[in-house]
Formats: sequence, structure tokens, C-alpha cells
Amino acid sequence: MASTSRPILPLDQSLHDVSVEIGRVPLRFPARVPWLIALIFSLALLLLFFVSVTWLMTWGVGVWGLNIPVNWAFAIHLYVWWLGLGHAGTLISAMLLLMGQDWRNSLNRFAEAMTLCAVVCAGIYPIIHLGRPWFFYWMFPYPATMGVWPQFRSPLEWDIWAVLTYLTVSLLFWYIGLIPDLATVRDRAKKRGWQVFFGIFALGWRGSARHWARWQKAYRTTAAIAVPLVVSVHSEVSLLFASGQVPGWHSTIFPPYFVLGAAFSGFAMVAMIALVVRHFFGLKEIVTDQHMDVLAKVLLASGLMTAYGYVFEVFDAFYSGDAREIATTYDRFFGMYAWSFWGAVLFNFVPLQGLWFKRVRRSPVLLFLIGTSVVIGMWLERYMILVTSLYKDFLVSSFGEYHTTFWDWGTYLGTIGLFFTPFLLFIRYIPSISIFEDKEVLAREKKEARHG
Amino acid sequence: MAEPPILGLLGEFGTADALLGAVKRAREAGYQHIDAFSPYPVEGMAEALSIRDHRIGWLSVIGGAVGIAATLAVQVFVNFDYPIEVGGRPLIALPAFFVVDFELMILCAVLFPIIGMLWMNRLPRLHHPLFGTPRFSLASDDRFFLYIEADDPKFDRDGTRGFLGSLGAWSIEAVRP
Repeated sequence: MASTSRPILPLDQSLHDVSVEIGRVPLRFPARVPWLIALIFSLALLLLFFVSVTWLMTWGVGVWGLNIPVNWAFAIHLYVWWLGLGHAGTLISAMLLLMGQDWRNSLNRFAEAMTLCAVVCAGIYPIIHLGRPWFFYWMFPYPATMGVWPQFRSPLEWDIWAVLTYLTVSLLFWYIGLIPDLATVRDRAKKRGWQVFFGIFALGWRGSARHWARWQKAYRTTAAIAVPLVVSVHSEVSLLFASGQVPGWHSTIFPPYFVLGAAFSGFAMVAMIALVVRHFFGLKEIVTDQHMDVLAKVLLASGLMTAYGYVFEVFDAFYSGDAREIATTYDRFFGMYAWSFWGAVLFNFVPLQGLWFKRVRRSPVLLFLIGTSVVIGMWLERYMILVTSLYKDFLVSSFGEYHTTFWDWGTYLGTIGLFFTPFLLFIRYIPSISIFEDKEVLAREKKEARHG
Repeated sequence: MAEPPILGLLGEFGTADALLGAVKRAREAGYQHIDAFSPYPVEGMAEALSIRDHRIGWLSVIGGAVGIAATLAVQVFVNFDYPIEVGGRPLIALPAFFVVDFELMILCAVLFPIIGMLWMNRLPRLHHPLFGTPRFSLASDDRFFLYIEADDPKFDRDGTRGFLGSLGAWSIEAVRP
């Protein structure tokens, strides 16, 4: 176990304080008004989502701005973006668990919830961008009366299985990690309704040593498998691109570049959510400045690795000597959509450099702004990768333009509501920070402090 | 009047180390049917209770093998049963199959141990006699409990109560059915 020299949690609190501090959030919710405002706002966006999807189902994908040649537009762009945001949750939870990084224990729970909500938003896109979304179940191999089977050599099948697996594994990982905490809240609850609610979902957890032993094995096994899963899911996304013919999608760095970019945007999102949650719930003793400091360092590191991906992608185009690859690179620099390339560079990497300084890392406002900038930057990057490659490829006859429509934006902003509505319900009704894992850390740190 | 039957005795401890020490001494004293309850997994507890259970890990391995084999079989089968010829490309295209193979291998490698864990732990089980013990709710907060079952060969109502007291238990409660 890697133990930091300085304790990550303040040592003047007891194990009981941790139960009280986190467990009170669902039982006696502290931030009713801001939460309600946020919920109303996200419900409005969710309504927009339903309106947009209804419109889409009524008129077909023509209501979006996609066309030939830019036939992969917002749907795939945002699929990649949302999925990427989700990945950091799994990485924080699983990878840092295996590495014994104690600081993760204050962040993992809502990071996992963020993953779940983001994967739902991502998963909805491949479905609604089908011409006839109500037949999405044709992607499953079931013995249909028509006698046909799905085409397993198609990337669409990769998508559905990758997303479905990712969603299921994230849900299970989140839930089995939550069971002991549900038991804690069940035992603290005073009202009958809460006791029944948490009682059912805690499955009758008792904290038996035998249960813990098996639970720990299952949890760590899932964590160990979730890390390659994240890598495989976002590599799969980058392979969707590589299976197209278009220039600009064939750099060999694509899989790691996509995975790192995903982690980068996701860490930014986790930092933003952590700052907001701890501010409104008064959880500064649990999510400390030091947590944010470490998270900011991880954000900086993953950002620099993503920057390496940018550099290598350009290098790769010129090194290949392929005329069309080089032309696409020039189009990215100077073409019609150059704003998306330079915007991505600007938003992703310029404010990020502030994180070299401790004062910036520990300033909630600055860290939040940098996080926002990164999320916007990664949004632009995914847009750039798609549109700049598609709008001009090999033949002049297949050059075209892409312009978004109202319904593109309606659907996109709607998915933000689809993301925040369940997330807000989660932080309201379920312990949003891991209680037992924080107790474990606190007990260990106290012991270390006693023994010097 | 005969005392009502009990299922066992539950001793309460204040720290994980105290519980670990108590478990070790109970084992030395010859108690077999004991269990420990804690708000978080205590390092060294599995060894102290000599829990050696490697089935979870094996379930994951088996799940992965079943997942990848079944997925591959389905993909090969559907491509024979409903062949789609695309420009002479091979029907059994392992590289194209691999993404789905890998994902379902992962899915089963996770599902098997998790379902196995719940099944071996006999969960969900919403009620348990231990929950009827007043102080047991603290086991999910900041207290640590040692439970000695009444069907232990060495169990003796008064003797075991005295033994738990000698271990330094803060409170000793009888668990009733």
C-alpha cells in the first residue's frame, strides 16, 4: 500500500464523524434550494431531449445537419465525447484502487455515478442515429422469424456490445461498491421509508468478515478488469474511425490518443463535479484541498499526454508522405473548420498550464474554470476529428460543408439534461462519497500517526 | 424458568485492532464457529479467521473463457447461417469479431464473480437474527463485533460470556432467533 507522507483526511475526526458527515447528505439533505434549481434546469433540458428525439423520430435524421460527405456528425461526435467523459470515473475508481491511492476514496463514488450517466448519454446516440431507431434490437442475435442475423463484421455491432458491456460493468462496479454504504445509511436512517428503501438496496449487508473477504475479491477483480475495459472501449471507438477510408483517421496513435483524451476530459469533469459537490454539501473535511491538488496534477499529466497525441498525429501525417493525409492536416490548420482545431488546442492546453502552480491547483475557482475549458476543448477536438476529415476527402466531387441545425443542438443540450437529472437524483438520495473506504483510510492514517 | 435459547453471543470492540486481537485469541482458545463484523474490511482478518476461498478469482477466469468461447461460437454460427457476402471478404473474420469477443469476455469475467460473491454470501437476505441485537447497527458505523455461535463445540453460555469479557469487549449481547 502506498501511503502518502501527509494524511489526506484530517485526523481530528472519528470514524463516526465520517458516517455522520456523508450519511447525513441523503437523510437530511443540506442544499435543498440550489439542488432544486439545478434539478428544474436539468429537467427542462431533459424535456428538450424528449422533444428533439420525438422530432427526430417523426422526420428522420434529416432534421440534423448531417449530409453526404459529412455523414458522421454530432451523433458520433457526442457519442465519443460523452463516453470519454465517463471513462475518468472508471479510471479513478478502478486503477487508483489497484494502485492503493488513498485519495481516490473521496472521489470514486460520484465519479462512478458520473460514468454511468455519461455512458447512458453516449449509448443513446448510436441508437438514435440509426435511420429507424425503433429497430435497434435487430443488433442483438436473436432467432428472428425473418431468418436474418446481425452482421458481426460491422462496427455498429462493436458499438452496441462495447457500450452495453461498459454500462453493465460500470453499474455493477458502482453498485457492489455501494452496498456497504447503503447498509450504513440504512442503520442510521430514522424514518421508516428510508429504512425500507436503503434496507432493500443494501441486500441485508452485515459486514461479516467472510462477506468482506469475498466482496473484496470480487470488487478488486472487477476493478482489475475494468481498467482494460476502459482502454478497449475507447480504442474500439477509435477503431470505428480507422475502419473508414477517410484521411486523418489512420494514425497508429489513435487508440491511446483517444483513451488519454477521454481520461483527460473525464478528469476535468470529475474535478468540476467534486468542487461543486463539496461546496454545496459542506464536505471540505472529506474532499480536501489536497484531493483537488492531486486531481489537478493528474489532469495536467493526462493533458500533456493528450498534447503528445496532437503532435504525433501531425507528425504521422507528414511522415506518411500521403498527399491526402497532408492535405487534411492543412485543412485542420487553415481550412474552413480551423476554428475547431485551434479552439481545441487553445481550450485544452493553454489554461491547463496554470496547473503547474500549486496556488492554481488549490484554488477552487481557477480549477473549475480550467476544467470547463478542458471539457470545451475536448468537445472541439472530437468535432475537429470528425468534420475536418469528412468534409474534404479524396475527390473534389465529394467535398462538402457541414452546418449544425437547431435539432442537432436540441438533442445535444437535451443529453446534458439526460446526464444531470439522474446524477442530481443520485447525489440527493444515495451516499455520494464512499463512507467505508474513507473510514478505512482514516483508521490507517490514525494508526500511522500514532506509531509515527 | 429455563432461559430462552440463543443463537450466540456478540461482543463489541472499539477498534479494528482490538477485534483482530480478540479473533486471534478466540481461535487460540479453540472456538470454531466465529465471525467478525466490521464497518470496513480489516486487513489480516481473513487470515485470522483462516478464510481461504479462491473461488471468486476462478469464477472470473471461467467467466472470461465462457464469454469469449460463446461469443465466438455465436458469431461463427450466424455467419454460416446467414452469410452476407461483401466483396469476397472472409465470412469468418476473426479481427472484425475480436472487439465483440473481447467485450463479452470482460462482461462474463465480471458477471460471474459478482453473482458468485452474492450467492456464496447468501445475499440478498434482508433479515438476519443479528439485526435484532440492539447494538449491532453500530457494526456499520464505528464498532467492531465478534460473534461466537451457540453451536460451537466449546460454547457455554456463561463461560463464553466471561471469555468475551476477558477479551475486553465493551458490551456483550445475546443474539436471539
